Amino acid sequence: MAVLTPYTFIQCPCSDSSTLGRPSDPNSSTITEADEDERTFDPRAPRSNFSLYPLEYLLYCEDCHQIRCPRCVSEEIVTYYCPNCLFEVPSSNLKSEGNRCTRSCFQCPICIGPLAVTSIETRPDPSLLAAPDNTAAPHSGPYALTCSYCNWSSTEIGIQFEKPNSIHAQLAKLRNGGSTRLTAKERKERRKDPAYRRYQATSSGEGESDQTENLDLETQFANLKAFYQNQLADPNSADTGLAALGDLGFSSPTSLSRIMSIYTGGSLQDRKAKSRLGAMREALKPDEGLQFAHLDESAAIETLRGEGHDGTASITQLVDQPPNLGEEHLHGRSRFISELRPIPYLLRTKRSKRCPVCRHIISKPEAKVQTTRFRIRLVAGSYIPSIAIRPLSLSATAGGGGSSASGATLPGALLEPLKPAHFLLTFKNPIFETIKVTLGAPAETPGRFASKVTVLCPVFEVDANTDVWDEALREGGATGGAGSGGGGEKGERRRGRYDEGSQANNGNQLEVGKIWERGRNWVSIVVEVVPASLRLDQGDAPLREDEDVLEIPLFVHVEWEGEAGGDDVLESVAAKDKGGEAREKRELAYWCVLGLGRIRK
Amino acid sequence: MSAPVGSAPLPHRSVANIRSPPGAGHHHQSGSSTPLRPLPSSFGSPSSLRADEEIIIIEFGTRKLQVGFSGDPAPRGCVWFGPEQQRRAGDFRAWQTDYRQDWRAAAAGGLWGKDHELWQYDVRGSDLGLVGDKIERALREAFTKYLLIDSRPRRMVWVVPSSLPIPLLSAVLDSIFSRFQPPTISLLSSPLALAVGAGVRSALVVDLGWLETVVTSVYEYREIVTKRSIRGGRTLVEQTHKLLAKHLPQGQSEPSHSQDHVVSFEECSDITARMVWCKPRTASDTSRISNDGLATVQEQDEGESQAHTEHRRDGSVRIPLRSWLAPTTLELPFEALAEPCEDAFFDSQYSPASFDDHELPLHLLVYRTLLQLPVDVRAFCMSRIIFTGGCSNVLGLRGRIFDEVSHLVRERGWDPVQGKAVEQLRTNPKSRRRVPRQVASQGDESGSEEEDGIWHDAANTIPKVDTIDEQLRRGADEIPPVQGEMRAIESLGAWSGASLVTHLKASAVATIDRELWLQHGAAGASRAIDVDYRTQRQSLGAGGLIRGSVGHHTNWTLGIWGAL
Repeated sequence: MAVLTPYTFIQCPCSDSSTLGRPSDPNSSTITEADEDERTFDPRAPRSNFSLYPLEYLLYCEDCHQIRCPRCVSEEIVTYYCPNCLFEVPSSNLKSEGNRCTRSCFQCPICIGPLAVTSIETRPDPSLLAAPDNTAAPHSGPYALTCSYCNWSSTEIGIQFEKPNSIHAQLAKLRNGGSTRLTAKERKERRKDPAYRRYQATSSGEGESDQTENLDLETQFANLKAFYQNQLADPNSADTGLAALGDLGFSSPTSLSRIMSIYTGGSLQDRKAKSRLGAMREALKPDEGLQFAHLDESAAIETLRGEGHDGTASITQLVDQPPNLGEEHLHGRSRFISELRPIPYLLRTKRSKRCPVCRHIISKPEAKVQTTRFRIRLVAGSYIPSIAIRPLSLSATAGGGGSSASGATLPGALLEPLKPAHFLLTFKNPIFETIKVTLGAPAETPGRFASKVTVLCPVFEVDANTDVWDEALREGGATGGAGSGGGGEKGERRRGRYDEGSQANNGNQLEVGKIWERGRNWVSIVVEVVPASLRLDQGDAPLREDEDVLEIPLFVHVEWEGEAGGDDVLESVAAKDKGGEAREKRELAYWCVLGLGRIRK
Repeated sequence: MSAPVGSAPLPHRSVANIRSPPGAGHHHQSGSSTPLRPLPSSFGSPSSLRADEEIIIIEFGTRKLQVGFSGDPAPRGCVWFGPEQQRRAGDFRAWQTDYRQDWRAAAAGGLWGKDHELWQYDVRGSDLGLVGDKIERALREAFTKYLLIDSRPRRMVWVVPSSLPIPLLSAVLDSIFSRFQPPTISLLSSPLALAVGAGVRSALVVDLGWLETVVTSVYEYREIVTKRSIRGGRTLVEQTHKLLAKHLPQGQSEPSHSQDHVVSFEECSDITARMVWCKPRTASDTSRISNDGLATVQEQDEGESQAHTEHRRDGSVRIPLRSWLAPTTLELPFEALAEPCEDAFFDSQYSPASFDDHELPLHLLVYRTLLQLPVDVRAFCMSRIIFTGGCSNVLGLRGRIFDEVSHLVRERGWDPVQGKAVEQLRTNPKSRRRVPRQVASQGDESGSEEEDGIWHDAANTIPKVDTIDEQLRRGADEIPPVQGEMRAIESLGAWSGASLVTHLKASAVATIDRELWLQHGAAGASRAIDVDYRTQRQSLGAGGLIRGSVGHHTNWTLGIWGAL
């Protein structure tokens, strides 16, 4: 069993169903909505997994004074880049070339390690003896992609490259096994080529050979598209023979042709009527995108029989494969390892994030790919108090219990069912104001196994996050008025804490309503839990994954007085020194989940 | 491809409308024909006018989500639903070394494999909000990872199975409308998109899906008949599990764990995808003796490749298993790996009468769907069979179904009545004499759906010169459409079909406006019949038009997905 370190997750207020546009399904939600307010948040409900985030994932909008989670920010893309070669990709390329790196960045299809281009050593032939020749041209001849992690090489799927650069373009022309294929562009050009057209005309005259042509997906799509476009365009342009001119837009030849058709009538109109009435026929030839299915798969089955389990690719390997447009519909034949292809790296983006309400930017990375810095990043960690959890051992009061105490305080130790355990929650205030924290927790955790929870001190204040040096200077100076007094007080408190550390059983009694410890900008309080017993009765559903973890939903309500219109943190500090003329009361409330530990089964 | 017929002109269309007002076409034509569409070719290039507007196409399946832009031949990204996806953000346990050791706990309570599914069609007691959440997260992943788009609102086109229940659809729409703010969402049914993706107007779509197999007949871009069977991918994986469990050493697995699954779902589905295959139809009527067919295949193989001979001789496959009590390697005869497929899809050891309506073997399902169709529709559909869905990847399965159905057709014809009595009637020379007379008289009287009756009808109508028929015939191209023979064709897939449809600017019957949805929800949808979709009724061909987005959405529908 994995050791569980205590954790905190915060539920972004955006996932409250009431704030989401329309109250969802009318018949189902009326009941739940009625007691929306009294409802305690159940961290174990499957839905809550989607709204809980660690503090590090959350951002904060300074203007709306609200937490923003990845679900409730609107994103803008700063840069597209390849994570392998770190080259920036212009957004226009993205549309035309797809979402993968088109240079020479590939992932191994077996182990997703990065592939390197290496030249294939020529077989031991006479040239090996003629060493000088070899050194003269060390990187010649065919190249292959090789994985340095699992030693896979593209020669295994019969693919070699002539040049060591622009592998992507070369790969697009190669089928597995080494045979070449035409890319879409080439095919378009080929179609324009009059010689090819003539060839086409003769071959279609032969008839049946054309019917069995295997189209790869890309070609089939292109053919179908052309076919449909042709069919849809038919009534107006096909009869005049001016289709090409019509493409130019609102050019006069088309209108001319229309006028012509109005006055000529006769045969022309007839043809028009014909094409319009025939609506749209279906595709009849491979040229038009029709493709017959090859249902005889005995060859593939025989290969499967021969290759066995090892010759097939796992599901994860197949999922990683990009859609292979260069092949016909594989229908399961892509299962073999020999059908896998190197995976071009997916491009990535750098994104700036805005608050969806006030449109202020709350996170903006540097545009340059190589830098990891941010221009703006308002992380929630610097606005809302962080909660650290630590097991607290009180059993040290019993003289010989030293060992057991240490055992209990060991992080990740199992909690004994039905035996009270204590945890220290340390709230650390990141902002420069004193905050008032109010906690609410259900007396019993929701779920099948209800553990009892008591927050011994649910209301307390945490001092402001003043500058450490500020404080130190004030302490050292020991002059001045109220500020130094406060600092001194804090210093004493801290010293007190160290004392406690040295003599753990300093008569530190658990008192309801009392803060356990307090520091410059932090406060520790105690939570007592009585873990439920996980015994299952006969006929109960077995224990589900993570159901033995003791999780406490905790409603945190934070209040502070902030600068009225101030949108800068530094300003607010200055204002505090001034005495704060325009103060405004602010509050923030959210659910969070404290994972305390596993209960012994 | 085309501009609206006399609809409220969009700003950029106005030039076209000036040039050729909607009525212009009528001057030189007999009044009954469709009005001339102004200058469709000027909108031929998708890039010129609407370069900035990308329409996102999403295909929803039970196990995966495919996303891409319209006009692309294939989806850019595919997101599978799985338990990893349902974890909290920042939960990295999947990377721990001992991860998934306790899959039994996760699979407890009949959840084996359920967390790999987006939804169950049985919505009783299911958490619809959860479905919405799953979709949202999957889409978000797809957008950031594969599409690389920002969160500006974009129009969406969804490819949705036509049997999707309204509560599910509504939950998903809720989630997407509120989270992604698309201005409109259009719904396309997947059989239809498949037909478009194959280039045909009529088709029999055999969707070998995960939850169930759905056979839908599409005729002239309309869904006619749908039949379903619960024999799908899930059944196949369960049968594979049964096979594995059978071959595992009994002593250790069964007594110690009372649970019904001995191998994890992930591993089992992996093995299914890799190794399970389907035997070809045995030629003889003595149902399940397969030696005959296989012997011939072996001979063929020997000629081709010498290297595989020794593998084939022992005929066994070694399958590593990690999620069992102890990691082991299971040795199975290769033939055994065809059993799950046999049991899951055909169950040929039972008589056809023993199946319930919801669990028909696939070949019977296809046959009965065809049988239920009117004759002319059947003629078209049977020669345009499209296999799709995850299980069409099982080697040999498509061919097997096709052969079985062909065999059924050859054996029984299109006679819905069968059984001993019919056999007797056929074989009995006395009664046979009586048969033609009966049929003939019946046909004359009623012109019923019976095959012979229709045939007579058709014979009767031939002499009449039908002007419309005449025109149609002239309109049709030289090659007559193939009909009446069994034929399977390949489709690009529902996603690609939808991409084509959208790229060609054909409108969907069900287009939902965000504002209207947020106001009314599914309750605001009217029945498909009540909505004036004059433009759609002309089908893709004549009426593939964009609707002017102004006044049209006051009355909207969910199309074949129904109304509340």
